[in-house]
Amino acid sequence: MLSTLELSPQALDAEAPVRIAVKNLDFYYGEHKALKNINLDFRDRHVTALIGPSGCGKSTLLRIFNRIYSLYPEQRATGEILLDGRNVISNDIDVNELRSRVGMVFQKPTPFPMSIYDNVAFGIRLYEKPPKSELDDRVEGALRRSALWDEVKDKLKTSGMGLSGGQQQRLCIARTIAQKPEVILFDEPTSALDPISTGKIEDLLEQLKTDFTIVIVTHNMQQAARISQYTAFMYLGEVIEFDATNTIFMNPHKKQTQDYVTGRFG
Amino acid sequence: MAAVTDQMAAPGAPAIRRTPKGTFDIVFRNASRAAALFVLVLLAGIIASMIIGGWPAFREFGLGFITSSVWDTQNEQYGAWPAIVGTLSTALIALVLGVPLSLGIAVYLTQLAPPWFKRPVSTTIELLAAVPSIIYGMWGLFVFVPLFAAYVQIPVSNIVEGIPLVGTVLYSRSPSGLGILTAGIILAFMIIPFIASITRDMLEQIPSVLRESAYGIGATTWEVVRHVLVPQAGVSIIGAIMLGLGRALGETMAVTFVVGNANRLSASIMDPGSTIASRIANEFNEAMGLQLNALIALGCILFFVTFVVLVIARILVARVKSF
Repeated sequence: MLSTLELSPQALDAEAPVRIAVKNLDFYYGEHKALKNINLDFRDRHVTALIGPSGCGKSTLLRIFNRIYSLYPEQRATGEILLDGRNVISNDIDVNELRSRVGMVFQKPTPFPMSIYDNVAFGIRLYEKPPKSELDDRVEGALRRSALWDEVKDKLKTSGMGLSGGQQQRLCIARTIAQKPEVILFDEPTSALDPISTGKIEDLLEQLKTDFTIVIVTHNMQQAARISQYTAFMYLGEVIEFDATNTIFMNPHKKQTQDYVTGRFG
Repeated sequence: MAAVTDQMAAPGAPAIRRTPKGTFDIVFRNASRAAALFVLVLLAGIIASMIIGGWPAFREFGLGFITSSVWDTQNEQYGAWPAIVGTLSTALIALVLGVPLSLGIAVYLTQLAPPWFKRPVSTTIELLAAVPSIIYGMWGLFVFVPLFAAYVQIPVSNIVEGIPLVGTVLYSRSPSGLGILTAGIILAFMIIPFIASITRDMLEQIPSVLRESAYGIGATTWEVVRHVLVPQAGVSIIGAIMLGLGRALGETMAVTFVVGNANRLSASIMDPGSTIASRIANEFNEAMGLQLNALIALGCILFFVTFVVLVIARILVARVKSF
């Protein structure tokens, strides 16, 4: 089983600064405690994968980094998530500004009901008022980076809803990177896509990690092995093991991790 | 245990199947077909009798029936223009006032309201939709009209008197509280529950992941609603508005109570006027001869306008549901 996994060849930079530090984090859905005492460090310009069986809390953890959970009054978090030294779960943080710095790509493609151009420009226009030519450049740049430009350059004014699922997902990635965030969160970004679209998104992630700190939740262990440098295995709301991806997949220290990555449970 | 016995019995006994009796099936099929055909016959019958009944008036006055403003029962001269204008202007006022309020209600309930507040307001909206129109009419005449005369018509008339255009449109010659604007306001109250509840349902159908991703790039609630949610629900909101418009056009009792029932066309929305429905309701009892034909012809026009509005609404709502 292990031998079938292609492991990411890139060496990880152990000296890279910590971009996000999670300390003693607990999370509650109403009375239910969904995350228990999470402690994790996410390194700058690295891809960190969160894996684990359904319901283990990996998506829940991801949704704390940009405070999406704050849309739902019954959900709350305690502890610390430090991004550039500021605790993002404290009440005095500007949530909208935080979200422009911590972008998120969801499980299903979510193009907005507007043109392809406006979809990408939407996030830029929220916080900046660049002149038209600069806006054009940034939209083009974002679409190029998300490997969509050649497919859409002749129909920028048409609706984003008219694209295929894989194109829509790359449009959402373009929309996110156009804002120049520091961190991008991916919540199972390929689970609704076919293998070819999935391959394109994975290539894209490879490119993006030169500029962005990436956290990805995935159910697909091959995917985690291929694209991430660090992997956290979670189970029942706790982090069981967190280490370099190669270690997690080739030489895990915990038996639970070993069982999960070899497909014996989960 | 029962399952086990069945299995034991099965191999021995040959499977006995009763062939269904053909006769009942045929009766049932034809009975349900007749029920469905009945609505078509009913509609065709109504249309035919309206056209036959209104024909003498259309023949007598031709196109002039629509464009003439004279409604003179002594001299047998009938023109529908004031009633058509009254119908359209009251409905328009109702939309102008009702649509923003309805959208506000729907957006608040789906996006902002805490759960403990959402439930009672939603229920209240549905109750409002169930209030019979005669209640709105009575409340309008006995409660709203006097207040409207004292606190809106008289002060506004004093302010706008002499100003060009505004002084014409908003000046009330006899501030009784009755009038086109009053009817429009009462109609707005009546269509708000419809538009608000349909819009709320449409907004609730939008997948939460779309809403989350709009918030996820740092948009404020206003930006999310304005640029993502309302355009996403877009066409179906227009459909909801058209349904409200259909009700406003045809509403009879409440409007008859408060519109003032004047036969003359006034340039001011503060003055009394009449709508097609209110005119028919007022005159039908004593109408004879050509007057009766003219009233039925009025009904034809209303029927046609409402029908067109409903068809457009249906098309718009159906188009959204399909994707």
